[in-house]
Amino acid sequence: MKAAKFFLSLLLFCLCSPSKASAQDVPYKRLLHSDTEPQNWFMYGGDYQSKRFSFLKQITPQNVVNLRPAWIYQRSRPGEMIEDSPVVVDGIMYIVEPPSTVTALDARTGLAIWSWTPALPRVVKVDGYHATSRGVAVLDDMVYIGTIDCHLVALDRKTGAVRWSVTLGDNKINYGLTAAPMAIDGKIIIGPSGSEDGVRGFIDAYDAKTGKRLWRLYTVPDPGEPGSETWGGGQILGGAAWNKGSYDPELNLIYWGTGNPAPDYNGDGRPGDDLYTCSLLAINPDTGKVKWYFQYTPHDTHDWDGTQVPVLFNASLDGKPRKLLSVANRNGFYYVLDRVTGEFVAGVPFVKETYAKGLDAKGRPIVLPNTDPGTEPVLVYPSNNGGVDWVSPAYNPLSKTFFVNAREMGAYFAKSKLPDKPLVVGTGMVMGGRGNSYLSGDDSYGAIRALDVTTGKRKWEFKMQAPSWVAPLATASNLLFSADDEGDFFALDSNTGKVLWHFRTGGSFISSDTRSSPITYEVNGKQYVEAADGDTFIAFALP
Amino acid sequence: MSAIRSCLIVALVFALGSLARNTLPASQDPQRRPGTQSAAPPIVGDPDKGRDLFQANCSGCHGIDAGGGDGPDIQQAPASLGDATVANIIRRGVPDTPMVGFFSIGDAGAADIVAYIRKLGSTMSSETTKGDPRKGEEIYNSSGCPACHMIAGQGGEIGPELTSIGAKRGPSNLHQRLIDPGVNLPKEGNVGDRGKWTLYLLYRAVTNDGHVTEGIRMGEDSFSIVLKDVNGNFHALYKPNLRSLEKEPLKSLMPSFKDTLSSAEMDDLVAYLVSLKGATP
Repeated sequence: MKAAKFFLSLLLFCLCSPSKASAQDVPYKRLLHSDTEPQNWFMYGGDYQSKRFSFLKQITPQNVVNLRPAWIYQRSRPGEMIEDSPVVVDGIMYIVEPPSTVTALDARTGLAIWSWTPALPRVVKVDGYHATSRGVAVLDDMVYIGTIDCHLVALDRKTGAVRWSVTLGDNKINYGLTAAPMAIDGKIIIGPSGSEDGVRGFIDAYDAKTGKRLWRLYTVPDPGEPGSETWGGGQILGGAAWNKGSYDPELNLIYWGTGNPAPDYNGDGRPGDDLYTCSLLAINPDTGKVKWYFQYTPHDTHDWDGTQVPVLFNASLDGKPRKLLSVANRNGFYYVLDRVTGEFVAGVPFVKETYAKGLDAKGRPIVLPNTDPGTEPVLVYPSNNGGVDWVSPAYNPLSKTFFVNAREMGAYFAKSKLPDKPLVVGTGMVMGGRGNSYLSGDDSYGAIRALDVTTGKRKWEFKMQAPSWVAPLATASNLLFSADDEGDFFALDSNTGKVLWHFRTGGSFISSDTRSSPITYEVNGKQYVEAADGDTFIAFALP
Repeated sequence: MSAIRSCLIVALVFALGSLARNTLPASQDPQRRPGTQSAAPPIVGDPDKGRDLFQANCSGCHGIDAGGGDGPDIQQAPASLGDATVANIIRRGVPDTPMVGFFSIGDAGAADIVAYIRKLGSTMSSETTKGDPRKGEEIYNSSGCPACHMIAGQGGEIGPELTSIGAKRGPSNLHQRLIDPGVNLPKEGNVGDRGKWTLYLLYRAVTNDGHVTEGIRMGEDSFSIVLKDVNGNFHALYKPNLRSLEKEPLKSLMPSFKDTLSSAEMDDLVAYLVSLKGATP
């Protein structure tokens, strides 16, 4: 009895003292079994499968109408748009305030506990991307952040003190970190941005304790290396792997997307497929070697990249159990791949698609004529921001439904003349044209779409006024949270798409420049849903 | 990588860049020299390079020939303001207007654009007006325009304010709008990569109980819309309560003056509108 009382007291102590609880280590095992701790949101995509799904069920379709703000945290410094997806561990929330400030909050109240801001150079180069970060990773007693000037920094989880810091690339030639790092067993993995200046993309792994680099995988070859023949003898530039990947611990493979070749819109100087740009790489995290690759968009000339976060899932196909992954790609196609072999399983457009009439048996786009940017502008769907840009999808494994925030929008693409001399990385943007002449907003819209995960067949959609930059969040209680571009955070019934609740956050998701990735977590038995908007991070809860 | 949205120039870099400039000693900062424009070394740009940059970044608002669209006619801007000033506006924008700073274009790029605009301005004389603005003002007042439009604080508030319409629109543009008010409606300013929404777009909403509202869209999101009717009243409508919500493109609350004004009267009215260059508070 005494023992029971002691443990009850201990439990209460832990539950009521998030700052104390934060002293707990977050060993790899806890990350590995994140499904068993739905109160925590351990990493960028929620878990290694990047499902953005929670087993929390306190907030339901029946009571969500009562959801109200529990707290609001106003960013502590002006800056670029918030694109953060927070991490919550044992009652502490780790947010990133743009560009690279990490702040630890009491996840019950929004009260700041500590904050760390890197000393940045007076001028930070960010050609082609925004000076912001999409989040942190946690492992053991540290928090990891990629800074905008291209350092990977390990912070003490309790104090924010720097434990180690390494430089990945030279920001003077446009290397910068916007992605959330991935933490696996003893390693931190991340890739920088910068393709718009023609930097050579890579993915790095670092020893989580010391910051020692374990391997570097270049995403595009050196001249003469395998793959270089797909560049037609031209300059090999780009392929920045600037978003986060997913991880299958059993297969011991990480799945990581790569960005566009450079120059973006004029491919005349790089005839061929331009491997391994706009591709998904399956990488052994122990060695950094590629097991297989799948290229979504060979010879990309629409700035579509291929960095969309893959969702890992298992399903039975033709009576056989399969290990699969799915990606809603920026080129407008939804792909299902075998994640053991990289074999193409299925692919269908999930938005209006005028670039390709479909995918062939191997998943290669059957490109339609007159879709390459011309000297006169060419209208192509989707726009250069794609059917979806970098914001993640969500996946409900219970209903086997994949949710994507789709962008129904076309744009005029045009190419410009390339310089006569070889491009020199560091001299500035080498776009080779443009793809940002958008159709009128009244000819565009956004939609949350629910797709059957194995076929991509649409189950329902929820139309929004404009394409938005907000990831969906799915819960086991059949809720689907997201937000529109005008500042409405909302909850849908994830089985039907019916609106159950919405809340005007006060700032437009675009005019205030927030591109949020909502999360959910629980502290002291209360479930919260967090979303960023404008200059604020808002946590909602039931009364 | 994420697309280049020139209108959303990275604020940090801008801020840091501004800081860097602001910390320069005055003697090193051309913007701070006495007699700014004359003392600054002349900027020599390449109009051919500037053409590409202009078409990619400027033509959406200022028209393909810099003769104006949703943004003003700027063909004569280099001649009247000086190359350095125009280059500075390109780099830094104009506060509180849709003209954002195109910081990443760089000094050389801005100079190239200025050279191209100057070339356009010298080869294409701006449109001229044939009418008499004095007569045009009488026609404006006798044709019912003040009921809906405001000029220098006087008039209605249904349609756009016209106090400085002449600084924004050329004669042919204004002429066309008097004939076909619903065609080629203006678009909003800087909206990043969402695509510009149409201003003054007419909607017809029917509620579930059959009530019909027609009006100009003043605001809209995924859940609601606010319409302004012909009397200037606002109607806030919740979309789930609507049976239908239809756009009425090409329609306008403003009548066409095609059949009510003679050609000469139309010229006079256009001349008057073109003469409206700014506020007189």
